[in-house]
Amino acid sequence: MYKIEAIIRPHRLEAVRDALREHDLIAVTVSDCRGAGRQAAPTHTFRGSQYSHGLELRLRVEVFVNDSHLDVAVDAIQQAATTGEVGDGKILVFKAEQAVRIRTNERGESAVH
Amino acid sequence: MNAIRTLLHYKERNERTTPRRVMSKAEKWKLCLTVFAGKMIGLIILITGIKLCTGLMSPAHAADTYTAHETAMMNSINTAWTLVAAFLVFGMQAGFVFLEAGFARQKETVNVLMECIFDTCLCGILFWAIGYAFMFSHGNGFIGTHWFFLSGAPDTYEATGIPVLAHWIFQFAFADTCSTVTSGAMIGRTGFRGDILYSIGVTGFIYPIIGHWAWGPDGFLATMGSDKNFLPTLGQGFRDFAGSTVVHTIGGAVSLAGAIVLGPRLGRIFARDDKARGGMPPPHNLTIAAVGGFILWFGWYGFNPGSSLSAMDGQGIGRIAANTTLAACAGGMAAMIVAFLFGNTRGKFDLGFSVNGMLAGLVAITCPCYWVSPLGSILLGLVAGVIVYIGVNLLEWFRVDDPVGAVSVHGFCGIWGTWSLGLFATGQYGATGPTGPDNSASQLVRGLFYGGGTDVLKAQVIGNFMITAATFIIAFVMMWVIRKLPHPWNLRVSKEGELGQGGLDVFEHGIEAYPPQSM
Repeated sequence: MYKIEAIIRPHRLEAVRDALREHDLIAVTVSDCRGAGRQAAPTHTFRGSQYSHGLELRLRVEVFVNDSHLDVAVDAIQQAATTGEVGDGKILVFKAEQAVRIRTNERGESAVH
Repeated sequence: MNAIRTLLHYKERNERTTPRRVMSKAEKWKLCLTVFAGKMIGLIILITGIKLCTGLMSPAHAADTYTAHETAMMNSINTAWTLVAAFLVFGMQAGFVFLEAGFARQKETVNVLMECIFDTCLCGILFWAIGYAFMFSHGNGFIGTHWFFLSGAPDTYEATGIPVLAHWIFQFAFADTCSTVTSGAMIGRTGFRGDILYSIGVTGFIYPIIGHWAWGPDGFLATMGSDKNFLPTLGQGFRDFAGSTVVHTIGGAVSLAGAIVLGPRLGRIFARDDKARGGMPPPHNLTIAAVGGFILWFGWYGFNPGSSLSAMDGQGIGRIAANTTLAACAGGMAAMIVAFLFGNTRGKFDLGFSVNGMLAGLVAITCPCYWVSPLGSILLGLVAGVIVYIGVNLLEWFRVDDPVGAVSVHGFCGIWGTWSLGLFATGQYGATGPTGPDNSASQLVRGLFYGGGTDVLKAQVIGNFMITAATFIIAFVMMWVIRKLPHPWNLRVSKEGELGQGGLDVFEHGIEAYPPQSM
């Protein structure tokens, strides 16, 4: 069991979800986030002032997969989220020790799907 | 109690003691005849008087004469009324800003606000320099040729008795409305420099010149049907009381041309391409959009009643205000019900359609508001609400991306409203004027449903068609040319501007609508 955490550009979300759906991975958790990376941070301007908090808007997509789905899921996200420009984000994979479906108290692999 | 009883007794005693004279039968007859004869003589004198002085007794106000003092008073009141209406119409800008920003996505909100603000400023300057001259000065049937920069303009506008500058600000507010309508269908992918270019075209040339045809003192549609003018056999001029055609259809036609030339926003999926996910992207603030709808409705009380330019026509402006209200009510309700019964919104009371339906009713009543009855207003408002529903779905089917529904609301319902005069005009009302209504027989407007035949309808359809077609073609060419310019002056913003960090707002204006608060 793994947790895949991907930081992606907001407008790639639809493509990423489409790609995951092709492998029957429907469940995702998405949250707004801001962060800094190698890409130059945008400068904002307002009434003569210039400011930059050095953070860019991104989405964090979390997907829980079984061992058999890990590679296809990572590939799907990578291919769907890329634009080729600096700032496309990262995909991180964590090993999960346990998974519990709250409704039924199922444990392990069957709880992930 | 005792005191009152004493008083009553005293009164009774007094009455009893009053001597009563008893008349004989002959005396009674004599008295009766005398009174009757007197009444008859009075009646004869009255009838004779009426017969002799018909001119004075007739209700036609044209025969009335006013002293200079009375005229000055009336002109002052009319001017105050027109200015109040102008301020209300100007307030509609706030409504447009709210409505458009609310229906837009968050990342194009600053752009929407900025376009409305810039359009207003630009429109003021251009309408002073050339717009008012093209539209309202004398010239030929197609264009006005005097009063550029308002120089040489007379003190008062034509026969209205209203100062030219008061008329100017009223008409500026209308021109501004037209230009703001245009931006509605082009939200989210228009570059700001492109917006500057097309706004100059719309507010400086398209609206004033085509508006002159219908509203100019010698416009060929305004004088249509009279001797030695356009289509003399028709016998009817083109009527547009407050601008269903002149303001709204022109705005709608330009925005349709713009939306077609621009193409949809990147990532926009249409309903017919993907049943599950296709359709309008969700709006970002429905509270703001609903408030905007109501501010627009409020402003419409200047738009329609104010177009009389006369507070002396009390019956007229009261009727217009009531008709305006009823059409809006009917439009909002009809759109809600239709959306409830059909389509993806089935079973839901849809806010977007209801707000647009309300505005559809208002746009439709704008042209016929003076000449129809309250019942007629309700009926034509109901139709407008249905049209807006069909229009939105039609544009979706044709893959035209119109984020706020400007084409359906202003374009399609503007056309319907103009035609509806030919159907619903009651035939009781004629023209408004600075001293009161002119309801003489030659001025009355009677539509098809009231036994007036198809003459008025024909005039309305011809006038509306010419304006719509001319506007669409000219606007399409203009937008197409601007679309061919190199970036950044291209009509459409570059791909980076649309999809980059912070979207159009940061790309064009350097800031998001709701920037993160890190300090």
